[in-house]
Amino acid sequence: MTDEEDVGFRARLDAFIGLPLSGAPAVAPDPVNIPMIRHWVDALDDRNPVYLDAEVAATTRFGGVVAPPAMLQTWTMSRPAIQGLAERGGAPGELGPSPLKVLDDAGFTATRATNSELEFERYLRPGDRLQSSAFVESISEEKETALGIGYFVTWVTTYADEHGGVVGRQRFRVLKFKPAARPAQR
Amino acid sequence: MTADPPVSPVSPAWHAIRVGDRLPVFELPVTASVIVAGAIASRDFMPVHHDHAYAIAQGAPDIFMNILTTSGYVSRYVTDWAGPEAMLKKISIRLGVPALPGTTMRFTASVVRSERTGGEGVVEVELRGTTDIGDHVTGTVVLDLPVDGHSG
Repeated sequence: MTDEEDVGFRARLDAFIGLPLSGAPAVAPDPVNIPMIRHWVDALDDRNPVYLDAEVAATTRFGGVVAPPAMLQTWTMSRPAIQGLAERGGAPGELGPSPLKVLDDAGFTATRATNSELEFERYLRPGDRLQSSAFVESISEEKETALGIGYFVTWVTTYADEHGGVVGRQRFRVLKFKPAARPAQR
Repeated sequence: MTADPPVSPVSPAWHAIRVGDRLPVFELPVTASVIVAGAIASRDFMPVHHDHAYAIAQGAPDIFMNILTTSGYVSRYVTDWAGPEAMLKKISIRLGVPALPGTTMRFTASVVRSERTGGEGVVEVELRGTTDIGDHVTGTVVLDLPVDGHSG
C-alpha cells in the first residue's frame, strides 16, 4: 500500500466509529428458555441450582430459575448458515457494511476475541425476549502482534428486553489480523 | 491430576468474606469436546472453535475455546464458591494464550474488595485461568451477596 491508500483505508475505518457494528439491532430468535439453559449448563458442567432447579431457585433471591448471566451474548447470536461457513470466515451470514467486512476484504481475515466486559442489570428469566444493539467504540491503529499484523476493534452492545428495559451491556474487543500461516504480501 | 472443588450448596455469609480470601483452585481438563460443547451451547459457530483444518489455516495450533465459554467458566468458577445467592454484576476478562485441547486450565482467584452497599455485600474477585503455555484468561468478577445471608 502507498501512504495515500493507507490514509484512505484509515478514513474508511474511522467512518464507522459511533455507528452500528452491522445493520439493525439483533433480535433473539427465541425467548430465554430452559432447553438452551440446560444445553449450556451441561456443556460447562455448571451445577449452580438457580439455573435449572425450580424448587431450590424459588428459595433464593431470584425466586425462580434464571439464565446463567454469561449467556447474555448467546440469546441474540445470529442463526448461522452452516453451508459456506468457513468460506465466509465464520460469519453467520453475509455481513452488511461493517468495519469487520472492510478489514476482511483487506486481508485481515482472522479474528481473535481479546476482551469482554459483561455488566448485568438483572438476571434473565425464561420468557424474556432480548434484542441487542452494538455500536463501534474504537478501532486501533495498525498493530504488530504475536499473531500477526492487525487492528483491535471494540464495540459496545446493549441488551434490552421486550419492554425496552436494559438488562445488560457488553464491551467486546477483537483483533482482526492477517494470519501468520499465510503471510501478507505488502 | 484434576481437582473439582465442591459446588457450594449455600452462599457464604458476606460478613465472613475477607479481602485476601482465596477461592478453591479449579482445574479444567480442556478437550476438543469441552471447546466444541461450549462453542455450540453459546451459539458461536466460528469455525476456529470446531473445525481443526480451518483453525490451522488461520495460524492457530488447533481449535481453541471461544470467549463466551471462557466467560461461562469464569462465572461457574466464581459461583461454585459464592453459591446460589450470588448475583454477578460484572465479568471483565482479557484473553492471553488460547485454551487448546490437551491442556489443563487452572483457575485461581482471590477477593480484592468487599464492601456493603445498602442490603448488598459487594465482592470483587480477581482471577486467572492458566494453562501450560501461560495465562489464558485474567480478569475480575463483581458480585452481590445479601448482607443478611440467605434472602429467601
